[in-house]
Amino acid sequence: MDKTTTIAAELREEFGKNAARRMRRAGRIPAVMYGAGGSALPLAVDPKQISQILYSESGHNTLFTVEIKGRTPARVMLKDWQVEPVKGKLLHVDMVRIAADARLKVKVPIHLTGEPQGVKVQGGILDFVLREVEIECLPDDIPEHITVDVSGLTIGRHLRAGDLPLGAKVKLLSDPHRVVAHVVAPRAEEEAAAAELAEAAPAEPEVIRKGKAETEEAEEGAEKAEKAEKGEKSERKEGK
Amino acid sequence: MLMPSKVKYRKQQRGRRRGKAWRGSKLCFGDFGLKVLKAGWINARQIEAGRIAITRFIKRGGKLWIRIFPDKPVTKKPAETRMGKGKGAPEFWVAVVKPGRILFEMEGVSEADAREALRLASHKLSLPTQFVSRQPAA
Repeated sequence: MDKTTTIAAELREEFGKNAARRMRRAGRIPAVMYGAGGSALPLAVDPKQISQILYSESGHNTLFTVEIKGRTPARVMLKDWQVEPVKGKLLHVDMVRIAADARLKVKVPIHLTGEPQGVKVQGGILDFVLREVEIECLPDDIPEHITVDVSGLTIGRHLRAGDLPLGAKVKLLSDPHRVVAHVVAPRAEEEAAAAELAEAAPAEPEVIRKGKAETEEAEEGAEKAEKAEKGEKSERKEGK
Repeated sequence: MLMPSKVKYRKQQRGRRRGKAWRGSKLCFGDFGLKVLKAGWINARQIEAGRIAITRFIKRGGKLWIRIFPDKPVTKKPAETRMGKGKGAPEFWVAVVKPGRILFEMEGVSEADAREALRLASHKLSLPTQFVSRQPAA
Protein backbone atom coordinates (compact mmCIF):
# COMPACT_ATOMS: atom_id res chain seq x y z
CA MET A 1 0.00 0.00 0.00
CA ASP A 2 1.19 3.49 -0.85
CA LYS A 3 2.48 5.23 2.28
CA THR A 4 0.86 8.48 1.16
CA THR A 5 -2.67 7.08 1.48
CA THR A 6 -5.04 9.61 2.95
CA ILE A 7 -8.49 9.02 4.33
CA ALA A 8 -11.07 11.60 5.27
CA ALA A 9 -12.75 11.46 8.67
CA GLU A 10 -15.32 13.52 10.53
CA LEU A 11 -15.59 14.15 14.22
CA ARG A 12 -18.47 12.21 15.78
CA GLU A 13 -21.05 14.26 17.63
CA GLU A 14 -23.40 11.46 18.69
CA PHE A 15 -22.45 8.47 20.78
CA GLY A 16 -23.95 5.15 21.83
CA LYS A 17 -25.18 2.10 19.95
CA ASN A 18 -28.21 3.79 18.40
CA ALA A 19 -26.10 6.53 16.82
CA ALA A 20 -23.45 3.96 15.79
CA ARG A 21 -26.08 1.82 14.06
CA ARG A 22 -27.52 4.83 12.27
CA MET A 23 -24.02 5.70 11.12
CA ARG A 24 -23.38 2.17 9.83
CA ARG A 25 -26.66 2.24 7.91
CA ALA A 26 -25.54 5.49 6.33
CA GLY A 27 -22.33 3.85 5.08
CA ARG A 28 -19.82 5.11 7.66
CA ILE A 29 -18.36 3.35 10.69
CA PRO A 30 -17.37 4.71 14.09
CA ALA A 31 -13.65 4.98 14.78
CA VAL A 32 -11.38 6.38 17.43
CA MET A 33 -7.93 7.94 17.13
CA TYR A 34 -5.53 8.19 20.05
CA GLY A 35 -1.86 8.01 21.05
CA ALA A 36 1.33 10.09 20.83
CA GLY A 37 0.30 12.22 23.79
CA GLY A 38 -2.82 13.57 22.08
CA SER A 39 -6.39 13.20 23.28
CA ALA A 40 -8.68 10.47 22.01
CA LEU A 41 -10.89 11.66 19.15
CA PRO A 42 -14.15 9.94 18.21
CA LEU A 43 -14.36 9.80 14.40
CA ALA A 44 -16.49 8.47 11.57
CA VAL A 45 -14.70 6.90 8.58
CA ASP A 46 -15.48 5.11 5.34
CA PRO A 47 -15.24 1.31 5.87
CA LYS A 48 -14.24 0.73 2.23
CA GLN A 49 -11.09 2.79 2.65
CA ILE A 50 -10.20 0.93 5.84
CA SER A 51 -10.82 -2.43 4.13
CA GLN A 52 -8.49 -1.42 1.30
CA ILE A 53 -5.80 -0.67 3.87
CA LEU A 54 -6.42 -3.90 5.79
CA TYR A 55 -6.30 -6.09 2.67
CA SER A 56 -3.30 -4.29 1.16
CA GLU A 57 0.15 -5.87 1.01
CA SER A 58 1.28 -4.17 4.23
CA GLY A 59 -2.09 -4.84 5.91
CA HIS A 60 -2.68 -3.40 9.36
CA ASN A 61 0.90 -2.10 9.51
CA THR A 62 0.18 0.46 6.78
CA LEU A 63 0.97 4.04 7.74
CA PHE A 64 -1.62 6.47 6.43
CA THR A 65 -2.84 10.00 7.00
CA VAL A 66 -6.18 10.95 8.50
CA GLU A 67 -7.58 14.31 7.49
CA ILE A 68 -10.13 15.90 9.79
CA LYS A 69 -11.78 19.19 8.92
CA GLY A 70 -10.28 22.05 10.93
CA ARG A 71 -7.44 19.98 12.38
CA THR A 72 -3.91 19.14 11.32
CA PRO A 73 -3.61 15.80 9.47
CA ALA A 74 -2.33 12.95 11.63
CA ARG A 75 -0.15 10.04 10.59
CA VAL A 76 -1.72 6.90 11.97
CA MET A 77 -1.76 3.13 11.88
CA LEU A 78 -4.59 0.68 12.56
CA LYS A 79 -4.41 -0.60 16.11
CA ASP A 80 -7.55 -2.70 16.36
CA TRP A 81 -10.67 -3.42 14.33
CA GLN A 82 -13.94 -5.20 15.00
CA VAL A 83 -15.56 -7.39 12.39
CA GLU A 84 -19.11 -8.77 12.22
CA PRO A 85 -18.73 -12.57 12.62
CA VAL A 86 -21.03 -13.76 9.81
CA LYS A 87 -20.63 -11.31 6.94
CA GLY A 88 -17.20 -9.99 7.91
CA LYS A 89 -18.20 -6.31 7.69
CA LEU A 90 -16.12 -3.79 9.59
CA LEU A 91 -17.88 -2.42 12.68
CA HIS A 92 -15.32 -0.19 14.37
CA VAL A 93 -11.63 0.71 14.06
CA ASP A 94 -9.01 2.02 16.45
CA MET A 95 -6.24 4.17 14.98
CA VAL A 96 -3.07 5.10 16.81
CA ARG A 97 -1.03 8.23 16.06
CA ILE A 98 2.53 7.46 15.05
CA ALA A 99 5.55 9.57 15.94
CA ALA A 100 8.25 9.22 13.26
CA ASP A 101 11.11 9.00 15.76
CA ALA A 102 9.63 6.51 18.23
CA ARG A 103 10.30 2.81 17.82
CA LEU A 104 7.18 0.71 17.37
CA LYS A 105 6.25 -2.82 18.35
CA VAL A 106 4.34 -4.38 15.47
CA LYS A 107 3.34 -7.82 14.24
CA VAL A 108 4.53 -8.62 10.73
CA PRO A 109 3.24 -11.53 8.63
CA ILE A 110 5.62 -14.24 7.44
CA HIS A 111 5.49 -15.40 3.82
CA LEU A 112 6.93 -18.79 2.94
CA THR A 113 8.40 -19.39 -0.50
CA GLY A 114 9.51 -22.55 -2.25
CA GLU A 115 8.28 -26.10 -1.90
CA PRO A 116 10.05 -27.95 0.92
CA GLN A 117 12.07 -31.07 0.09
CA GLY A 118 10.06 -32.89 2.72
CA VAL A 119 6.85 -32.22 0.78
CA LYS A 120 8.22 -32.62 -2.75
CA VAL A 121 10.31 -35.75 -2.28
CA GLN A 122 9.28 -37.31 1.03
CA GLY A 123 5.54 -36.64 0.78
CA GLY A 124 5.26 -34.76 4.07
CA ILE A 125 2.97 -31.88 4.98
CA LEU A 126 4.23 -28.34 5.59
CA ASP A 127 2.82 -27.08 8.87
CA PHE A 128 2.85 -23.28 9.02
CA VAL A 129 2.60 -22.73 12.78
CA LEU A 130 3.55 -19.11 13.40
CA ARG A 131 2.12 -16.72 10.82
CA GLU A 132 3.20 -13.44 12.46
CA VAL A 133 6.20 -12.33 14.52
CA GLU A 134 6.49 -9.32 16.75
CA ILE A 135 9.28 -6.92 15.87
CA GLU A 136 10.51 -3.51 17.00
CA CYS A 137 11.60 -0.83 14.55
CA LEU A 138 11.04 2.74 13.41
CA PRO A 139 7.76 3.41 11.57
CA ASP A 140 9.46 3.87 8.19
CA ASP A 141 11.38 0.58 8.52
CA ILE A 142 8.36 -1.68 9.05
CA PRO A 143 8.60 -4.48 6.47
CA GLU A 144 5.40 -5.41 4.59
CA HIS A 145 6.17 -9.06 5.31
CA ILE A 146 9.10 -11.30 6.09
CA THR A 147 9.82 -13.67 3.24
CA VAL A 148 11.64 -16.87 4.01
CA ASP A 149 12.61 -19.75 1.74
CA VAL A 150 11.57 -23.16 3.08
CA SER A 151 12.70 -25.31 0.15
CA GLY A 152 15.45 -26.88 2.26
CA LEU A 153 13.09 -28.22 4.94
CA THR A 154 12.83 -31.99 5.19
CA ILE A 155 10.59 -34.13 7.41
CA GLY A 156 11.37 -33.49 11.06
CA ARG A 157 13.27 -30.26 10.35
CA HIS A 158 11.86 -26.90 11.35
CA LEU A 159 12.33 -23.18 10.90
CA ARG A 160 12.47 -21.07 14.04
CA ALA A 161 11.70 -17.38 14.55
CA GLY A 162 15.39 -16.74 15.20
CA ASP A 163 16.21 -18.03 11.68
CA LEU A 164 14.09 -15.37 9.95
CA PRO A 165 16.03 -12.97 7.74
CA LEU A 166 15.37 -9.63 9.47
CA GLY A 167 17.21 -6.47 8.49
CA ALA A 168 19.69 -4.70 10.74
CA LYS A 169 17.11 -2.02 11.56
CA VAL A 170 14.59 -4.56 12.87
CA LYS A 171 14.72 -6.26 16.26
CA LEU A 172 12.87 -9.51 16.91
CA LEU A 173 10.65 -9.46 20.01
CA SER A 174 9.01 -12.87 19.68
CA ASP A 175 10.75 -15.85 21.26
CA PRO A 176 13.54 -16.81 18.79
CA HIS A 177 13.03 -20.49 19.64
CA ARG A 178 9.39 -20.53 18.49
CA VAL A 179 8.79 -22.80 15.51
CA VAL A 180 7.57 -20.94 12.42
CA ALA A 181 7.13 -23.90 10.08
CA HIS A 182 8.02 -27.56 9.98
CA VAL A 183 7.40 -30.55 7.77
CA VAL A 184 5.48 -33.42 9.34
CA ALA A 185 5.03 -36.96 8.06
CA PRO A 186 1.46 -37.57 6.83
CA ARG A 187 -0.72 -39.66 9.07
CA ALA A 188 -2.45 -42.53 7.31
CA GLU A 189 -6.18 -42.57 7.94
CA GLU A 190 -6.80 -45.56 10.16
CA GLU A 191 -10.53 -45.72 10.17
CA ALA A 192 -10.68 -49.25 11.47
CA ALA A 193 -8.55 -48.33 14.44
CA ALA A 194 -10.66 -45.24 15.05
CA ALA A 195 -13.83 -47.32 14.95
CA GLU A 196 -12.33 -49.71 17.48
CA LEU A 197 -11.45 -46.81 19.71
CA ALA A 198 -14.99 -45.49 19.48
CA GLU A 199 -16.33 -48.87 20.51
CA ALA A 200 -13.89 -49.15 23.38
CA ALA A 201 -14.76 -45.66 24.64
CA PRO A 202 -17.22 -45.57 27.56
CA ALA A 203 -20.81 -44.69 26.71
CA GLU A 204 -21.00 -42.06 29.42
CA PRO A 205 -18.30 -39.82 30.90
CA GLU A 206 -17.27 -39.95 34.50
CA VAL A 207 -19.23 -37.58 36.75
CA ILE A 208 -17.12 -35.46 39.07
CA ARG A 209 -18.68 -35.91 42.49
CA LYS A 210 -18.26 -33.59 45.44
CA GLY A 211 -19.39 -33.82 49.07
CA LYS A 212 -21.25 -37.10 49.54
CA ALA A 213 -19.42 -40.40 49.35
CA GLU A 214 -20.04 -42.36 46.17
CA THR A 215 -21.40 -45.41 48.00
CA GLU A 216 -24.00 -43.29 49.74
CA GLU A 217 -25.17 -41.82 46.45
CA ALA A 218 -25.29 -45.20 44.78
CA GLU A 219 -27.58 -46.42 47.56
CA GLU A 220 -29.77 -43.35 47.16
CA GLY A 221 -29.96 -43.89 43.43
CA ALA A 222 -31.05 -47.50 43.92
CA GLU A 223 -33.76 -46.39 46.37
CA LYS A 224 -35.05 -43.79 43.91
CA ALA A 225 -35.19 -46.35 41.11
CA GLU A 226 -37.19 -48.72 43.32
CA LYS A 227 -39.65 -45.95 44.23
CA ALA A 228 -40.09 -45.00 40.57
CA GLU A 229 -40.83 -48.62 39.64
CA LYS A 230 -43.40 -48.92 42.43
CA GLY A 231 -45.03 -45.69 41.33
CA GLU A 232 -45.35 -46.89 37.74
CA LYS A 233 -46.88 -50.19 38.83
CA SER A 234 -49.49 -48.45 40.97
CA GLU A 235 -50.36 -46.14 38.07
CA ARG A 236 -50.90 -49.10 35.76
CA LYS A 237 -53.21 -50.68 38.32
CA GLU A 238 -55.23 -47.48 38.57
CA GLY A 239 -55.46 -47.32 34.79
CA LYS A 240 -56.88 -50.82 34.69
CA MET B 1 -16.80 -40.03 18.67
CA LEU B 2 -16.08 -36.86 20.58
CA MET B 3 -17.44 -36.51 24.11
CA PRO B 4 -16.10 -35.17 27.40
CA SER B 5 -14.12 -37.53 29.58
CA LYS B 6 -15.42 -36.02 32.82
CA VAL B 7 -18.49 -33.92 33.54
CA LYS B 8 -19.78 -32.19 36.64
CA TYR B 9 -23.44 -33.02 35.95
CA ARG B 10 -24.86 -35.78 33.74
CA LYS B 11 -27.83 -33.82 32.42
CA GLN B 12 -28.30 -30.24 31.22
CA GLN B 13 -31.19 -27.98 30.32
CA ARG B 14 -31.55 -27.13 26.66
CA GLY B 15 -30.84 -23.40 26.79
CA ARG B 16 -31.26 -20.78 24.07
CA ARG B 17 -28.95 -19.76 21.27
CA ARG B 18 -29.10 -15.99 21.00
CA GLY B 19 -26.67 -13.70 19.21
CA LYS B 20 -23.66 -14.43 17.08
CA ALA B 21 -20.38 -16.28 17.64
CA TRP B 22 -18.10 -13.43 18.64
CA ARG B 23 -15.47 -15.96 19.64
CA GLY B 24 -14.20 -18.72 17.39
CA SER B 25 -15.32 -16.88 14.25
CA LYS B 26 -11.89 -16.26 12.71
CA LEU B 27 -9.50 -18.67 11.01
CA CYS B 28 -6.78 -19.38 13.54
CA PHE B 29 -4.81 -22.38 12.30
CA GLY B 30 -5.47 -23.17 8.65
CA ASP B 31 -5.93 -21.34 5.37
CA PHE B 32 -9.49 -22.50 4.70
CA GLY B 33 -12.48 -23.15 6.88
CA LEU B 34 -16.16 -23.90 7.14
CA LYS B 35 -18.31 -21.29 8.85
CA VAL B 36 -21.82 -21.96 10.14
CA LEU B 37 -24.50 -19.42 9.21
CA LYS B 38 -27.28 -20.31 11.66
CA ALA B 39 -27.48 -21.18 15.32
CA GLY B 40 -28.14 -24.74 16.39
CA TRP B 41 -26.74 -27.98 17.69
CA ILE B 42 -24.20 -30.13 15.88
CA ASN B 43 -23.97 -33.59 17.35
CA ALA B 44 -20.87 -35.75 17.76
CA ARG B 45 -21.95 -38.10 14.95
CA GLN B 46 -22.23 -35.22 12.49
CA ILE B 47 -18.80 -33.90 13.47
CA GLU B 48 -17.32 -37.36 13.04
CA ALA B 49 -19.07 -37.86 9.68
CA GLY B 50 -17.73 -34.49 8.51
CA ARG B 51 -14.23 -35.37 9.63
CA ILE B 52 -14.36 -38.71 7.81
CA ALA B 53 -15.68 -37.05 4.63
CA ILE B 54 -12.80 -34.55 4.66
CA THR B 55 -10.04 -37.05 5.42
CA ARG B 56 -11.35 -39.49 2.79
CA PHE B 57 -11.34 -36.79 0.15
CA ILE B 58 -7.91 -35.38 0.89
CA LYS B 59 -6.51 -38.88 1.55
CA ARG B 60 -2.88 -38.31 2.51
CA GLY B 61 -1.80 -34.73 2.84
CA GLY B 62 -3.39 -31.69 4.35
CA LYS B 63 -4.08 -30.92 7.96
CA LEU B 64 -7.46 -30.64 9.61
CA TRP B 65 -8.61 -28.87 12.76
CA ILE B 66 -12.00 -29.37 14.39
CA ARG B 67 -12.89 -26.12 16.14
CA ILE B 68 -16.00 -27.31 18.00
CA PHE B 69 -16.46 -29.88 20.74
CA PRO B 70 -19.70 -31.62 21.71
CA ASP B 71 -19.81 -30.93 25.44
CA LYS B 72 -23.58 -30.70 25.96
CA PRO B 73 -25.51 -33.87 26.81
CA VAL B 74 -28.96 -34.32 25.28
CA THR B 75 -31.42 -36.59 27.05
CA LYS B 76 -34.36 -38.54 25.66
CA LYS B 77 -37.22 -40.40 27.23
CA PRO B 78 -37.80 -43.97 26.04
CA ALA B 79 -40.53 -44.59 23.45
CA GLU B 80 -44.11 -45.08 24.70
CA THR B 81 -43.35 -43.71 28.14
CA ARG B 82 -45.79 -41.59 30.11
CA MET B 83 -44.76 -38.04 30.90
CA GLY B 84 -43.20 -37.31 34.26
CA LYS B 85 -41.01 -39.58 36.34
CA GLY B 86 -38.00 -37.38 35.83
CA LYS B 87 -35.72 -36.40 32.99
CA GLY B 88 -34.71 -39.03 30.45
CA ALA B 89 -31.34 -40.67 30.05
CA PRO B 90 -28.45 -38.94 28.22
CA GLU B 91 -28.56 -40.07 24.58
CA PHE B 92 -25.96 -38.10 22.67
CA TRP B 93 -23.63 -35.10 22.81
CA VAL B 94 -23.92 -31.85 20.91
CA ALA B 95 -21.82 -28.75 20.27
CA VAL B 96 -23.81 -25.53 20.56
CA VAL B 97 -22.98 -23.24 17.64
CA LYS B 98 -23.98 -19.69 16.80
CA PRO B 99 -23.82 -17.92 13.41
CA GLY B 100 -20.23 -17.18 12.40
CA ARG B 101 -18.59 -20.07 14.24
CA ILE B 102 -15.77 -21.83 12.38
CA LEU B 103 -16.36 -25.60 12.45
CA PHE B 104 -13.41 -27.03 10.53
CA GLU B 105 -10.10 -25.58 9.35
CA MET B 106 -7.75 -27.00 6.73
CA GLU B 107 -4.21 -26.40 5.56
CA GLY B 108 -1.74 -27.98 3.16
CA VAL B 109 -4.22 -28.48 0.29
CA SER B 110 -5.17 -26.41 -2.74
CA GLU B 111 -8.19 -24.15 -2.50
CA ALA B 112 -10.15 -26.32 -4.95
CA ASP B 113 -9.52 -29.44 -2.85
CA ALA B 114 -10.37 -27.61 0.36
CA ARG B 115 -13.62 -26.34 -1.16
CA GLU B 116 -14.65 -29.81 -2.28
CA ALA B 117 -13.65 -31.48 1.02
CA LEU B 118 -15.54 -28.91 3.07
CA ARG B 119 -18.54 -29.12 0.70
CA LEU B 120 -18.70 -32.87 1.35
CA ALA B 121 -18.42 -32.23 5.10
CA SER B 122 -21.16 -29.58 4.96
CA HIS B 123 -23.59 -32.23 3.63
CA LYS B 124 -23.14 -34.15 6.90
CA LEU B 125 -24.31 -31.19 8.97
CA SER B 126 -27.80 -30.00 9.77
CA LEU B 127 -27.02 -26.27 9.47
CA PRO B 128 -26.20 -24.02 6.49
CA THR B 129 -22.50 -23.30 6.15
CA GLN B 130 -20.11 -21.21 4.09
CA PHE B 131 -16.56 -21.76 2.84
CA VAL B 132 -14.09 -19.16 4.13
CA SER B 133 -10.45 -18.55 3.32
CA ARG B 134 -7.67 -16.42 4.71
CA GLN B 135 -7.31 -14.54 1.43
CA PRO B 136 -10.20 -12.17 0.75
CA ALA B 137 -12.35 -13.00 -2.25
CA ALA B 138 -11.12 -11.10 -5.31
